[in-house]
Amino acid sequence: MSSKSEIKQFILGNYLFTNDESALADDDSLLQKGIVDSTGMLELIMHLEEKYGIKVAEDEMVPANLDSVVKITAFLERKLAK
Amino acid sequence: MSATLVANLRSTAGRTPDQVALVKGERAVTYGALWSMACRFAGGLRTAGFAAGDRLALGLENSAEYVAAYYGTLLAGGIVVPLNVAAKARDFEFWLKHCAASWVVCSAENRELLAAAASIGTKVVTTGGVAPGAMAFTDIEGEFGDRATPDAHAPACILYTSGTTGSPKGVLLSQHNIASNTDAIVTYLGLTATDSIVCVLPFYYSYGNSVLHTHVKVGAKIVLDDNLVYPHKVVDNIARSRVTGFAGVPSTFALLLGRVTLKDFDLSALRYLTQAGGAMSVATTQKLREALPRAALYVMYGQTEASARLTYLPPADLDRKLGSVGIALPGIELEVRSETGERCAAMQTGTVWAHGPNVMCGYWDNPEATAKTLQGGWLNTGDVGYLDADGFLFLAGRRSDMIKTGAHRVHPKDVEEVIEELAEVAEVAVVGVDDELLGQAIKAFVVARSPGGIDVMQLKAHCRQRLANYKIPKYVDLVGSLPKTASGKIRRHELVERQTE
Repeated sequence: MSSKSEIKQFILGNYLFTNDESALADDDSLLQKGIVDSTGMLELIMHLEEKYGIKVAEDEMVPANLDSVVKITAFLERKLAK
Repeated sequence: MSATLVANLRSTAGRTPDQVALVKGERAVTYGALWSMACRFAGGLRTAGFAAGDRLALGLENSAEYVAAYYGTLLAGGIVVPLNVAAKARDFEFWLKHCAASWVVCSAENRELLAAAASIGTKVVTTGGVAPGAMAFTDIEGEFGDRATPDAHAPACILYTSGTTGSPKGVLLSQHNIASNTDAIVTYLGLTATDSIVCVLPFYYSYGNSVLHTHVKVGAKIVLDDNLVYPHKVVDNIARSRVTGFAGVPSTFALLLGRVTLKDFDLSALRYLTQAGGAMSVATTQKLREALPRAALYVMYGQTEASARLTYLPPADLDRKLGSVGIALPGIELEVRSETGERCAAMQTGTVWAHGPNVMCGYWDNPEATAKTLQGGWLNTGDVGYLDADGFLFLAGRRSDMIKTGAHRVHPKDVEEVIEELAEVAEVAVVGVDDELLGQAIKAFVVARSPGGIDVMQLKAHCRQRLANYKIPKYVDLVGSLPKTASGKIRRHELVERQTE
């Protein structure tokens, strides 16, 4: 599974409680759609750190990196390429 | 004559019309502009036939429109009913019906509230566009001759707390209730027009409500920040805006301390912090003081039924009285009473009762609950604790099963009712379990009608449709049976204890 679909499945399963991919568009804002709250975001970050062995720094915890499936995937790829 | 909230805004706008009241992102609104917006809104309501005592349900995020609609409704002699914007149609419908709201103000994108309003047939006003059948917020305008002075003791605001559909708890407050509490808070915090705050608390809860009214009273600036999904950004905002204050609940501070290196920011302008909304652990309190040694920390306690605040712990007494929620606010009396209603001696544990100008008028349209809670002018807080010899209150918990998760209160029955809607569910019990960040997390113990008959993901998905996100159980345990008393009552304590074993 690509990291993008894995991340999407994680969000679907843990916040929307479904496997239905159509429930979430790749560029949906997780904040504006009310999909994650502050603890949800921490869980998401923990998941990224554990699953992909990266460390999300404080100043990387910004919407530009984390607010949608597309943004998270791009952020993850940048981190992994380092 | 008693002070009113509208008089506070009028006076601040008259004194310092150009002072910034609210900042949200790039948008700044002055007190003069805010007062004009409130008057226009009040005039618009009156023109459209809104009568004194009518209820207006206010379902907006923190914004200038929220404040204008709140104060505008009071100016028009109405009762404002702030609603949790994250709620679902099920809750909205229930609240709108219970208070018989004739108007709803919400975002054009709040589908759940719009659906509830449509099913009941209220007038609807939307911000951020015009929803079908609704009026635009900016079109609610009219001349409002500044002649009417609403009665300070008349009903002004209903705040729904975590009741259930069976027992609605709409806390009814007068302007006098809130304004007197506002004055007391302003005094102990030493708030002035030179103060400013980054506010992450929603105005529709009594804590956020009190942040709003206290700042309006003195003409201080409120910088609105969305929420804590990105804690780093909130701290950055506190630093950049050079605010003098910050208000949070225990989970707010746990999150900021856990995820942000506070010493990397210039927070030197921060004069004080307030903490309410449940007990914060001594460890978190100490960490917070170490991280921000120059900011005075005010630990506070209260409840919606008391407008907001009942006690505060003067920062100078924090070390001496660690673990206490402090002393009664000026004008408020506290008593700890035994099961039989007698006044307890110092150090003796009992139920906390309070008396003062901030105590609610009662629960809206619920005389039974009112009679249980208000007796002889005294408020039964339902909280258990003791007063020490110096009059400092120490809390030991609540008699009720209410779950405190983050900034929210959740009644277990509210969640149980929704889970019971599923045909596969035979029985369910919901409890709060310890959670490092949230204080408590929601856990559901579910008995299936037939073995293997419940899909946990489906159960959560159903909850998500029917309940605000913060009410969805974090944990679901499928069990064979629930522990019960001889009379068939579920033993919740046993379920909680199972958790800690």
